[in-house]
Amino acid sequence: MKKRGFLLILGLVLLLSACGTTKNSSGGSAYPNKHIEIVAPASPGGGWDLTARSVQKILKDNELVQNNINVINKPGGGGEVGWNYLNTKDSHYLAVNSSLLLTNNLLGQSKLTHQDFTPLATLATEWQAIAVSVDSPYQNINELFEQIKKDPTSVKIGVGPGLGNDDHLSFVQATGMKDIQAKDLNFLVYDGGGGDVVTALLGKHVDAVTTSLSEVKEHHLAGKVKILAVSSDERLEELEDVPTLQEEGLDMVFPHWRGIMGPPNMTEEEIQYWDEKLSKMVESEEWKQLLENNDWDSFYQTSEETRLFMAEQEKLYKELIDQSGLVQ
Amino acid sequence: MKWIKIGMPVLMILISLTFLIGSFAIPKATLGNPNGPSYFPIGLSVLMLVLSIVYLFNELKTLKAFHEGIKDLMDKKTLRLIGFTIILGVIYANIFERVGFFVSTLLFLGVLLFYLNGMKKWLINIVVSISFSFITWYGFSQLLGVSLP
Amino acid sequence: MEGFMEGLLTAIEPINLFWIVLGGFLGTVVGMLPGLGPATAVAVLIPVTFGMDPTSAIILMAAIYYGAMYGGSRSSILLNTPGDGSAIAATFDGYPMAQKGQAGQAMAISAVASFIGGIIATFGFIFLAQPLANFALKFGPAEYFLLMLLTLSAIVSLSIGKMIKGFIAMCLGLLLSTVGIDPQTGIHRFTLDNPHLSEGIDFLIVIIGVYAIGEVFYNFLTINKEKKSQDKKSNMGKVWFSKEQWKRSKWPILRSAPLGFIVGVLPGAGGSIASMISYSTEKQISKKPDEFGKGAVEGLAAPESANNAASVGAMIPLLTMGIPGSGTTAVMLGALIMLGVRPGPMLFENDPGMIWGLINSMFIGNIVLVIINILLVGLLVKVLKTPAKVLYPLIIMLAFIGTYTLSYSTVDFYLLLIFGVIGLLMKVMDFPIAPLVLALIVGADMEQNFRMALVSSNGSVSIFFSSWISVVLLILTVLSLFYPLIMKLFLNKKSAN
Repeated sequence: MKKRGFLLILGLVLLLSACGTTKNSSGGSAYPNKHIEIVAPASPGGGWDLTARSVQKILKDNELVQNNINVINKPGGGGEVGWNYLNTKDSHYLAVNSSLLLTNNLLGQSKLTHQDFTPLATLATEWQAIAVSVDSPYQNINELFEQIKKDPTSVKIGVGPGLGNDDHLSFVQATGMKDIQAKDLNFLVYDGGGGDVVTALLGKHVDAVTTSLSEVKEHHLAGKVKILAVSSDERLEELEDVPTLQEEGLDMVFPHWRGIMGPPNMTEEEIQYWDEKLSKMVESEEWKQLLENNDWDSFYQTSEETRLFMAEQEKLYKELIDQSGLVQ
Repeated sequence: MKWIKIGMPVLMILISLTFLIGSFAIPKATLGNPNGPSYFPIGLSVLMLVLSIVYLFNELKTLKAFHEGIKDLMDKKTLRLIGFTIILGVIYANIFERVGFFVSTLLFLGVLLFYLNGMKKWLINIVVSISFSFITWYGFSQLLGVSLP
Repeated sequence: MEGFMEGLLTAIEPINLFWIVLGGFLGTVVGMLPGLGPATAVAVLIPVTFGMDPTSAIILMAAIYYGAMYGGSRSSILLNTPGDGSAIAATFDGYPMAQKGQAGQAMAISAVASFIGGIIATFGFIFLAQPLANFALKFGPAEYFLLMLLTLSAIVSLSIGKMIKGFIAMCLGLLLSTVGIDPQTGIHRFTLDNPHLSEGIDFLIVIIGVYAIGEVFYNFLTINKEKKSQDKKSNMGKVWFSKEQWKRSKWPILRSAPLGFIVGVLPGAGGSIASMISYSTEKQISKKPDEFGKGAVEGLAAPESANNAASVGAMIPLLTMGIPGSGTTAVMLGALIMLGVRPGPMLFENDPGMIWGLINSMFIGNIVLVIINILLVGLLVKVLKTPAKVLYPLIIMLAFIGTYTLSYSTVDFYLLLIFGVIGLLMKVMDFPIAPLVLALIVGADMEQNFRMALVSSNGSVSIFFSSWISVVLLILTVLSLFYPLIMKLFLNKKSAN
């Protein structure tokens, strides 16, 4: 009796190992020659996950990529865990990224930075918004900043989910232009993120918020909050009444970008492959629909352009973080 | 044997001390109140420390009273079973991403079943471990789309 | 009224009925499994909803959400292992009922309680969505802090006779909640330089560890002398509750529904807090508080009604303001945005058909779910008939996999084992476990809100007395802590006389 059980296990092990070898031996020469894996460095349902899944779907639906594409979730450490994972993989692995790739490193939370990967593209951007409630005494951004300058403790500013993110740093940059010390700013940090910040503003528990435009846009249109300025280079559709920061005399444009990258040491050939595929992807109808639904703007840059952009951004973020007082 | 009873309060005292020492090691904040991040943990670990000491004295008072749970826990067989399961869990954690979900789960479940349920019921053990490894793999990765190694 | 009828027609379209049934069933199943909750289930279905009609999509996602509230208590009752934070209160009396051979009755009453809670809350949704959304806005940092303080004191007050242990467990939970990056300052606390710990310890790992693994380990103590208790367990009892049980549960169910609904509306509070407050309230106003924790049927029915009502309440801030109040609604928000629907103040005006369709689907969904769940009772009690030596390895395996789906990392497996051992020790030494877990769930928010409140008042504690909501919450907190003591003094005097 015992023997039969043993044979059963043996058979099974053999079967499994057979499966294993067939999987690995499907090698060819032309890239890509196996499944593409897109790493979303976040839990299912979050922004990065949705970006990864949209890219997956659009590449498949438009038959831009013939190989199977999977999305792998590797949440933790504000992207750190997922990017660490990507760092050790081959060129069939890609990952979604954002400015956290730079700030994690600058804040000393990560050893990896953009130079440890191969940038493939910048895909889209959101814009930042500074908003107050409709019956606020501050009718424009300069009035708000003057009050902050006069008495920093009198203006409570809602931000989330953590310091050092774009919501926080864009505000630091804007106030810095008016010679306001970032250390004096009276931030209340809501770790629930954008939604909580808006609730706090609607309930008048804070005086102003700095957040992504999409969080406050509907409320602005419904007349519940007032957006004082957006960080884009020109006024936005649907929000013709909201000035840009530049128009208000603050010379800055602040994109909250998202991109995609691969592991280090990708070949020219492989980079070219993705330049071709991704530039086609961002032209598709589905991609444009996705941008519209999310209140994102197209921000496509090729691999080479992204490499330069990242270097530039890194310099900017370094200055902003020094200015913010987050690290000494 | 009876001294085992104070194991729990001692453990709690150690945990609160660890947190207390750790709380003092929290770096000063550069924004806002420099000690802001450490007040809450310090307060709590002190509170927990005091309560654990009270608890220790309570246990010392009733040291002689019989405690069935402890007797069961200190039974060699039980300890071996729990220890075995933990070691198996550690092995599982180590091989999970290397050999993949299905094989590692099959091995984990199979070994645990054989150990617990005995060699005599080998058929049930094998059927259960194969079928459940497969059902969970299928359910999670195919139906729910969870990415498993 | 016109909108209501239109919505009804939308909801009974065959395709939407199909989504309701599928979502409800799926929700029940994921609710039962440790670690897998409605948030994960909704998230993994997002690719499915691509291209779906937005109304159908939200009907499906909502069905998963409240379906999980039905399912969550199944494993609490049968195995003493809650599937999610909101099912913890169901272990208090549900598991003792199962041990007394009333598993069938327990599951039936909890399904009916969930049903009533869901229906009452749906009516609440129709009439009170807007005013309640405005009420929720009044909750600032001070009010949130006090609400969480009330929850904690309500839990600790349950551990009568072992107060010190209850407080120690609570302190430990709160301390664990401080692990990670401190949002207010960006400082790392107790993270040991591990990026995995920088986002804190996921309370679900702790739930799975102390409850599921801890319970299995605890049963290992007696696994070889199981014979006697096996007979007791194999007596499943009836699959329907008695008139007497219904009489005892009726009012607690009706009281807990509005309570759960209102707590559910508050962003961030959710099912765990709702069920816990309703449980401790029922215990304190009960004429037989001694039976609570030993299988009192109303102690199971009340929190079940509350947590399902809370899941309906949680839809209000999502739909009226575009603000997600819980992990699940946050994922739903993401999915809706992908479909081109942006919940917010304009939604009720722009797309009333969708809201009414959803409301009607909730009525239908709750009916479907109570039927599914009662039909499942007969099947589920068979779990108890599975030989323990086969069942426990399976529970351990499911615990590991449920943990893996939380953050796709095997680092969590070690945490799981550590908390399994802690759970075992706590059980052996007769510690209450709920304070540990609940403190971990509310701890981080509690500390942050406390500090934000002080920052916004420039350090003055008067902010905690400055609104009527704060004062009410403070009074309730004091009552929940000292009510048993006051009653005791009162009774002692009486008996002394």
